[in-house]
Amino acid sequence: MGKSGSERMPCGEPYRSAVSCRVMENRRVAEGYFIMSLGLPAACDTPLPGQFVMLRAKGVQAPLLGRPLSVYAFKRGEKGATLEVLYKVAGTGTLLFSGLPDGGDVEVLGPLGGRFEISPGVKNVILVAGGVGVAPLSFLASHCRGDRADARPRITCYVGAGSADALVGLDRLEASCSDVRICTDDGSCGHHGLVTDLLEKDFNLLDSRDSVICACGPSAMLKRMAELLEKHTVACQISMEERMACGLGACLGCAVAVKAGDGGFRYRRVCKDGPIFDLRELIWER
Amino acid sequence: MRTNPVGTVTPRLGVDIGGLILKNPVMTASGTFGYGEEYAAYNDLNRLGAIIVKGLSLESRPGNPPPRIMETASGMLNAIGLENVGVRDFIREKLPFLRQFDLPVIANIFGETLDEYQKVAEILNRAKGVHALEVNISCPNVKKGGIAFGADPDMAAEVTRKVKGAVDLPVIVKLTPNVTDVAVIAESVEAAGANAVSLINTITGMSIDVERRVPHLKNVTGGLSGPAIKPIALRMVWQVARRVKVPVIGIGGIMNANDALEFLIAGARAIQIGTASFVNPRAVSDILDGLAAYLARHDISHINNLIGTLTGGEEC
Ligand SMILES: Cc1cc2nc3c(=O)[nH]c(=O)nc-3n(C[C@H](O)[C@H](O)[C@H](O)COP(=O)(O)OP(=O)(O)OC[C@H]3O[C@@H](n4cnc5c(N)ncnc54)[C@H](O)[C@@H]3O)c2cc1C
Ligand SMILES: Cc1cc2nc3c(=O)[nH]c(=O)nc-3n(C[C@H](O)[C@H](O)[C@H](O)COP(=O)(O)O)c2cc1C
Ligand code: FES
Repeated sequence: MGKSGSERMPCGEPYRSAVSCRVMENRRVAEGYFIMSLGLPAACDTPLPGQFVMLRAKGVQAPLLGRPLSVYAFKRGEKGATLEVLYKVAGTGTLLFSGLPDGGDVEVLGPLGGRFEISPGVKNVILVAGGVGVAPLSFLASHCRGDRADARPRITCYVGAGSADALVGLDRLEASCSDVRICTDDGSCGHHGLVTDLLEKDFNLLDSRDSVICACGPSAMLKRMAELLEKHTVACQISMEERMACGLGACLGCAVAVKAGDGGFRYRRVCKDGPIFDLRELIWER
Repeated sequence: MRTNPVGTVTPRLGVDIGGLILKNPVMTASGTFGYGEEYAAYNDLNRLGAIIVKGLSLESRPGNPPPRIMETASGMLNAIGLENVGVRDFIREKLPFLRQFDLPVIANIFGETLDEYQKVAEILNRAKGVHALEVNISCPNVKKGGIAFGADPDMAAEVTRKVKGAVDLPVIVKLTPNVTDVAVIAESVEAAGANAVSLINTITGMSIDVERRVPHLKNVTGGLSGPAIKPIALRMVWQVARRVKVPVIGIGGIMNANDALEFLIAGARAIQIGTASFVNPRAVSDILDGLAAYLARHDISHINNLIGTLTGGEEC
């Protein structure tokens, strides 16, 4: 077997297997939102925060391609491991997932891609989640909780959703974060307005030297954050989304434009070079 | 006869593609298997018939702006825009990895002018570890108003002659299905010296987001691949195999061993697996296992005894 020493993921882990596994539970958590728990074999690899899996319902003809979903939770048990994804029904693929019965068969490829990096000196982690973007951030928060108590950063999470009934995953966030601040577009829960407005108000309290922002959400939210951050120096990592075919870096289908040294641009693969990028590296309008 | 008189690896599957001897007829289609590294964790690359790498041009190319792909009924559209590292970086950075394996490497090449095809071919001819070239003639000829080289029998022949003249490696010409009669192009490149032909490349298509009234692909149109194109690809392979003497390599929507067998029975000497690798990263290995199992089950001593054995049917 070839050792692909030159091809390593940003987090230093080699790529992983495609496995068939069982849906242990597929639970509706809000209108159009589900959490699926998958039973993985003991030999599976431990995913890191920010990584994703390509998921397919086994044996179906359509859709053809797997769908990328971030890892929401992972736990090792006696006989195997459990991986959870939190997903929103967005189209055919995710609609099919939502109808999978407990005990149904799926194919999982992963964990794939790179991770959110929280360096040891960081004292403040600020999470900014838009909608279903809470999935990878909640996993990140629970990961930080696992750090040694004296090295544990303070985690503040800003969560935005359309309305109160689209706020998902709050229970876990509240367990792992020091502070969870909520806002909704319609004011049905928490602050009335955009998550970025709420964040902007608190910005001046931030010491950029020992803080890092990690964000995931719709591109409008990320674009607004890029504007906000122009005036600040705090580091910001975001999880990007793009349509995918292979998830492995081979098809070049998931390109996003990033700044190149000479003032130009170049394309990077969300699946392999991402999905975590430095917010300031991305080019939003071209 | 189930014993193996030669004693090498799977001799009952070995095929000859215009002078290039492969241990089995299963190859990876260009652009769908990266440069091999991406899939090495899922497949023993030593087992494959050959790897065909992502299309190479003289200089690196950034490719098209996103979105580049869209799933459609039983297939997908892509407009990657031939993004690649360029032929020199391929030799420097990607080829050493592939040289570790007992695996013929076929370099897929393209250009915007005849000269570019020739230059890329010359550079690869000198590279250690390249065993054949596959010439993608689906590209627009910038000097001839952007008509694809492969859409015109004379231009297709000219590219073939240029590349053949530049190398001593076997040359496979990869045909585009976006033509009126693909067999005419196949005959033309055969006469120009092609050692084999492979088909089909993707079929041009498009898809629209009706809510926003914009195309799903930034490039508007893209190439359709996957199960949706298999019947068309199979028909074209069958037509071409009856008209040329050089080996024909079948490509298009092959998802499993059964699909691969259809192409072989229709007359393909070998096959390429494309989109299937996206759905199942082990597809190439699974298909290879399936072919071997079929031959054993039907007591076929050698795959050559299967190729082009379609019977029955009556064309009206
Ligand atoms: C790295 C990564 C991690 C992701 N994590 C999650 C997650 O944890 N939970 C979750 O609910 N969703 C996540 N997504 C988005 C999810 O992949 C898409 O919602 C899903 O692929 C849509 O498939 P579909 O067949 O249901 O929709 P389709 O019918 O294909 O499309 C419906 C809508 O979704 C959009 N869409 C399609 N594919 C993608 C995509 N790859 N990324 C973003 N939007 C897309 C389309 O533009 C369209 O508006 C993630 C995407 C990426 C790239
Ligand atoms: C994402 C993608 C990239 C491709 N890139 C190339 C390429 O660089 N050169 C080429 O000759 N064909 C390219 N192809 C065409 C494939 O090699 C193949 O001919 C086609 O996809 C049909 O086979 P399939 O249905 O098995 O995928 C590409 C196809 C896809 C889907
Ligand atoms: S999905 Fe294929 S390269 Fe990213």
